[in-house]
Amino acid sequence: MNSVISIENVKKTLGNREILKGISFTVEMGDIFGYLGPNGAGKTTTIRILLGLLQANSGKLDILGQDINLSETRRKIGFVLDSDGLYENMTAEENLVYYSQIYGLSKAGERIDKLLSMMDLEDRSKDRVGTYSRGMRQRLALARAMVHNPEVLVLDEPTAGVDPSGQIEMRQLMLDIAHKENKTIFLSSHNLDEVQRICNRIALIDRGEIKLYGELENLRLKMGSGGIVIEITQDIPESLLAELKSLSHLGMKGKKERTLIFSPREGTEISDIISFLAGRGVKIEEAAKKEASLEEMYTAILKEAEPS
Amino acid sequence: MRDTGLVIITSIKNNLRLKIVLIVYIAVTIICVLGIVIAFCLFLIAPEMNVELPDRSKLELYLGLIMYSTCFLGLGVNLNAFAFQSMTREKSRGNIESLLATPLKVKDIWIAKSLAIFVPGLVLGEVLTFIVLVAVNYIYFVPRIGFLLTPWIAVSSFLVAPLIYFCLSLLFHLIGLTGKPATGNVIVQVFLPVIINLMINLMLHGILDATSWPFTLANIGIAAVIAITVIFLRPRLTRERIVLSR
Repeated sequence: MNSVISIENVKKTLGNREILKGISFTVEMGDIFGYLGPNGAGKTTTIRILLGLLQANSGKLDILGQDINLSETRRKIGFVLDSDGLYENMTAEENLVYYSQIYGLSKAGERIDKLLSMMDLEDRSKDRVGTYSRGMRQRLALARAMVHNPEVLVLDEPTAGVDPSGQIEMRQLMLDIAHKENKTIFLSSHNLDEVQRICNRIALIDRGEIKLYGELENLRLKMGSGGIVIEITQDIPESLLAELKSLSHLGMKGKKERTLIFSPREGTEISDIISFLAGRGVKIEEAAKKEASLEEMYTAILKEAEPS
Repeated sequence: MRDTGLVIITSIKNNLRLKIVLIVYIAVTIICVLGIVIAFCLFLIAPEMNVELPDRSKLELYLGLIMYSTCFLGLGVNLNAFAFQSMTREKSRGNIESLLATPLKVKDIWIAKSLAIFVPGLVLGEVLTFIVLVAVNYIYFVPRIGFLLTPWIAVSSFLVAPLIYFCLSLLFHLIGLTGKPATGNVIVQVFLPVIINLMINLMLHGILDATSWPFTLANIGIAAVIAITVIFLRPRLTRERIVLSR
């Protein structure tokens, strides 16, 4: 896989405050990369450094193998910042035409029409942006980020302040952009559910340090406390339950209706438990390793990092 | 150059859509200009024209003062009306930050924003000055002593006064972008009355003659001082400083 964004030991100090304490991560081609963290953790500073708005004090940063401060590199990046930066006195179409011209596209009419239609804004394209709802503005900001057909999109909380249906629409748009338009997305968000639903890789930043980084699925398994959840088709007798509890290597933790929860000892596999139950005539509907939710991971990491 | 032109045109369009500000700007400028023209005509030009042999040099001075003040007003009120609120609005809404994340150069954005405020004022100031020049001449001078216009006052009004305001617009935008727009606004607010008062007093007390080259040179000197301040502060204009000043 090719690295689209590569950040290596980047540090940033503003005044006396060390905002980034040597962060490192890479975003690969085609990723929807979730960048999480509480307020003041350093997310916006990272994004500003990625867009060349702030300069890192030290460390290495490149986007598509190039220096961000080159105008050529900037042309390959689309962005949505925390303030959308749209011109309220101008129409949606005028905003898009303006940015297409800034990126040197003289005839972007077709592209603009396509984007307005994709964002479901074609009916309001001649209306001034000042009359738009928050959700519409964010969709327009996303269209503006895409107007020059960039390879990478850097999005800073694009669904902040948007109502639930608007969030669902934005989420679907981001998925379409990543999969149908083959873009790499760097998504900074507070919305854990959103990140869990659409991102394949994440980094969690807290107090200027990366606390968690990697493939979301791997992290969920790794942080899932090794538990195993088995769904059975019908209830089991009390005697079998007592037998299961007596076998300490299986680590029977409990039973909720037709769900059996195990926390087996090291060396005991999921297949050992299934074989045991099958041998006792229990019909199994589903068996899976218990994965941690992003919320659980987020809370655990931040709690761990709290100063004692 | 293309990028600067693009930002200038879009910014001018955007500013001119602020209809109330535009109406107030034009109305205030015209009222102020009319006040100055009427006062000068009634209290200085008309009495002078009533004497048997009007003093041509005095009339040239009065006309010069009217033209100079008119051009300054057109430019100054424009800068007062649009610069502060345009800069404050664009910084707070993230328009400037978004532009900085594009391939546009910081210098281009700065010059374009300065010109976008300066050009409409220049157009109104020059047009009003020209109208005043022609009207006063045809109402008072042409019938008796012919058309009056000295080259130095023409240079001061039509070229040097705009130059001063262009430098001032660059200074305001430099301060507004890298710091607080309110700081730049204080300079602009103070500059217009101070400079007009200073110049008019210097002329009325006979220290400077508006129809002579030292007056033009004094104005060029003012422009030079502002330009030097701009050159001195120019290294502050970086993406980082602009973003952090928001």
